[in-house]
Amino acid sequence: VSADPYSAMVRELFANPAHSGDLPDATVARIDDQGVSVQLAATHEGGVINSLRFRVWGCPHLIAACEAFCAAAEGRPAGELSDFHAVEIMRTLSVPVEKTGRILVLEDAVQSLGRSVCGGAVPQ
Amino acid sequence: MAAPIYLDYAASTPVDQRVAERMFECRVSAYANPSSNHVVGRQARSNIDTAAAQLAALFNVEPETLIWTSGATESDNLGIAGGARYRKNRGRHLVTMTTEHKAVTDVFSMLEKQGFEVTWLDPDASGHLAPDVFAAALREDTQLASIMYVNNETGVVQDVAALGSICRDKDVLFHVDAAQAVGKIAIDLESLPIDLMSLTGHKFYGPKGIGALYIADRSGCHVEPLLFGGGQQRRIRPGTLPSDLIAGLGLAADIAAARIDDDLAHLAEMRAVLWDGLRSVDGILVNGDLDAGFPGILNVSVEGIEGESLLLSLEPLCVATGSACNSKSQEPSYVLRALGRSDMLAQSSIRFSVGRQTSREEVLYAARRYREAVAHLRKIAPGEAR
Repeated sequence: VSADPYSAMVRELFANPAHSGDLPDATVARIDDQGVSVQLAATHEGGVINSLRFRVWGCPHLIAACEAFCAAAEGRPAGELSDFHAVEIMRTLSVPVEKTGRILVLEDAVQSLGRSVCGGAVPQ
Repeated sequence: MAAPIYLDYAASTPVDQRVAERMFECRVSAYANPSSNHVVGRQARSNIDTAAAQLAALFNVEPETLIWTSGATESDNLGIAGGARYRKNRGRHLVTMTTEHKAVTDVFSMLEKQGFEVTWLDPDASGHLAPDVFAAALREDTQLASIMYVNNETGVVQDVAALGSICRDKDVLFHVDAAQAVGKIAIDLESLPIDLMSLTGHKFYGPKGIGALYIADRSGCHVEPLLFGGGQQRRIRPGTLPSDLIAGLGLAADIAAARIDDDLAHLAEMRAVLWDGLRSVDGILVNGDLDAGFPGILNVSVEGIEGESLLLSLEPLCVATGSACNSKSQEPSYVLRALGRSDMLAQSSIRFSVGRQTSREEVLYAARRYREAVAHLRKIAPGEAR
């Protein structure tokens, strides 16, 4: 079947969102914009992200992007959160350009989380 | 991926095997131009005559009242634009509904730009147009009204008998887009006051690319052509007729006529089983009228769920959605918005449409799949989402 709007990676991440859910005592950031909602929760220690979880109300590309981000960011320095840009994840997942606004909500949520983590944790 | 389960019969139906064989036979044995007077041409023309008789019998009309077109979209264009232009010297006011198919609404929008005035009527919350609301919209200068028989998204059935009677009383041309009705519910144009009626073959197990416009044989009921270039079909719709497609459409009509009651009973049973499996989902809403609607369509929305993700979660079900993400329009269903649904509910809508081949096992599976998908997506969603 041609013209599948979803790449194989999007399908896989959408079907198996291993990082969906909540974390106890986590720092949380949530953005509601562009008709979607993205909530990220992180635990961190010594400037390193230990665990990440997400909750999303949005399209399959956004769910897949959140899963991909969480999987990649665990174990990384918290300071990198502020440098996160959605363009790379869009390229990796072959997200169509018309979905840019929604994926940018993830970018906003990540940067908000970065500010919270680095500027003083806000417990959940 | 698992084998697809087709529950999108309102979008298109599989061609009946007998119809496919009939078309093949026409292609190889009666391939000539039906306007040619030699023996093969006469055979092609004879096949068209047979098909016209078969289709005409489905509505209880004379074959001469039918004009072949490429499908319902062209029929709608010809009926509405052609009818409005034919009577433009009498008046330029037209009436339609906001919940019509784009093949209708876009024609009216075009006519508005050409100097016609259009009154757009909203349905009530169940999707119906009350006859008194319709009557109040008609004016002295109203020349044409177009109301669809069965809504393609919700299955809502309009009272075309009552609406048509109002039009007859006021000498207003009454066009009906019956793409979702023909071959599926009994239509007797001998008794129904319909002047112009659009249909297409592929909605009732016939081929794509062929449709027809019924034009009642009465004074003042006529259309101006949209196409020019030949004398076929009394110059109303010129062009070489695709006799193989027409033969297929005719046979599809013949088959439908013979089994329309059995088909309706089957659709009603399948929809009931489907709804029984869905009704326990928290926050689920039926878009349309479950009791009085066409039984082949069940359109539901659910609170707190994003439509495109729901659609992907439902694979391998082949269903339709009102989600903006999955259509080229980039806007939630305008039909459901007109019924008063919020953008969020409209874009979470799923249209299940069942057909002749739909089995009980398929709809039970579909219901289970829907319940699981909703539960999965709610688990992912943030608290108080939407």
